[in-house]
Amino acid sequence: MTNADANTDANPAPGGHGAEAARTAVGFRPPGGAAAAPLPVAAGPGWTPGAAVERLAGERATGALRGPAGTVYLVDGLVAHAESDRAPDLATLLTACGRLTRETWQEAVHRFGPHARVGEALVEQGRLTRGELELCHLGALYDAACFLFEAFDGTGNALATQPGWTFAPGARHWLGPVVAVGAHRLRREAERRQHLLDRIWPSAQLDTAPLCRSAGPPAAAGHGPGRHARRLRPPTRRQCDLLDHADGRRTPAELARLLGRSAFATTADVRRLAAAGLLAGSGDGSGAVPGTGSDPRCASGPPGTGRVPAPRAPGGLHRRVPGAALAALTGGRRGSDPTAVPTTATDPDIALLIRVRTLLEARL
Amino acid sequence: MPGIDECLSRAMAIAGARAAGLIDWSSGLALGSVGASPTGDHDTTAAEATDLVRAAVDAATFTAAEDRAVPLQDIILTADSSYHLLCFIDTVFDSRLVLHLWLDRAEGNLAVARFRLQSIAEELVLG
Repeated sequence: MTNADANTDANPAPGGHGAEAARTAVGFRPPGGAAAAPLPVAAGPGWTPGAAVERLAGERATGALRGPAGTVYLVDGLVAHAESDRAPDLATLLTACGRLTRETWQEAVHRFGPHARVGEALVEQGRLTRGELELCHLGALYDAACFLFEAFDGTGNALATQPGWTFAPGARHWLGPVVAVGAHRLRREAERRQHLLDRIWPSAQLDTAPLCRSAGPPAAAGHGPGRHARRLRPPTRRQCDLLDHADGRRTPAELARLLGRSAFATTADVRRLAAAGLLAGSGDGSGAVPGTGSDPRCASGPPGTGRVPAPRAPGGLHRRVPGAALAALTGGRRGSDPTAVPTTATDPDIALLIRVRTLLEARL
Repeated sequence: MPGIDECLSRAMAIAGARAAGLIDWSSGLALGSVGASPTGDHDTTAAEATDLVRAAVDAATFTAAEDRAVPLQDIILTADSSYHLLCFIDTVFDSRLVLHLWLDRAEGNLAVARFRLQSIAEELVLG
């Protein structure tokens, strides 16, 4: 198992340590190195992790900014590494597909982790090519940043003051230098990805919910001509993989880890499948917390409020679907009891209307 | 063993190359770019090239008859004065990447450039 628990001197922040524990179920963590004591980060109104990283970058800082759900590592003002609970890390991406065995990875981490040169050593030993390391590392970095920055951006003001963000000056990641990214570019890309997700399906409700297949679209939905037919085509091979593994317990993050895929691509596919009526939350939210406030955009209305108006269901629809599934699917459930809201649209008319509206919005 | 920057330099060394870029088409992100951009902004180029790639990848017409998980090898777009080559990069780990080459028609040779770009894409992964 991991040595992290026995060597926590580099990771004393409770939040950061919790995040690591969740991420290292297979023991990829090396012994920690010496680092300065972490300083709490003041989180005033309007504070976001993205802004904090940019400020540290402006000071050409080196160290680790740890939050409740992940960590950003800076080296000389550039982001060298990022990890999030919701995104698979480099180890998962490389081992889930069989590119490296877990033993190979663990050995490299234990031998070279203390010297912070795991990546370089894997390339020198011929286990990975430099291109593979750079591509996979960059993919994991942007993927993690997308979710690290997201949880507190936009409408997440309430969570922005959440305690637990610390900065440990001088702390470096054990992977060592691979490719670094500018903080501003990273933040802009994270925001862009969130907008892309919202364009696919303007609700984050399923992003953290256990998923299961749903009944599927009504028969009539597949026969629209022209543009409409394009949006309602059958799921791709990758989407079928997701459907096959959506067992009512796994969240998108768990599916991404299981399949060794980026969390962003998985979330995008989940939202596409939800828009097509093929995937839904598994209902009672017994696993992760579907829309219980962990995601700011579920708690405070639909994301991008200016762009995607909250749906106003006509009275007739309300009568036919007492659970107000329309509001549930678009995240517009202000102050309602989360467990009382069904996460599937059982009435085929409603499902069709939702898809038509999503389609129209996507074309605007 | 080339990294991303080295591969982009090699792509720019292809005769007639105006620009080269590495694009993550799952998100539309430019992971690296060199040379001129048709729009003046490499990020726009990456986003718009992604739209083209997605349109091809998502269309059953182009992929249904193929067996591989990554059914497409490249996309070639012929314009009046230039070509755009989008070469898919095949990695063992999950990724959605293309190498984009903007090629001058008068100075470049399409067949040679396509062949060269494919070997650069392979070198990036295989070393």
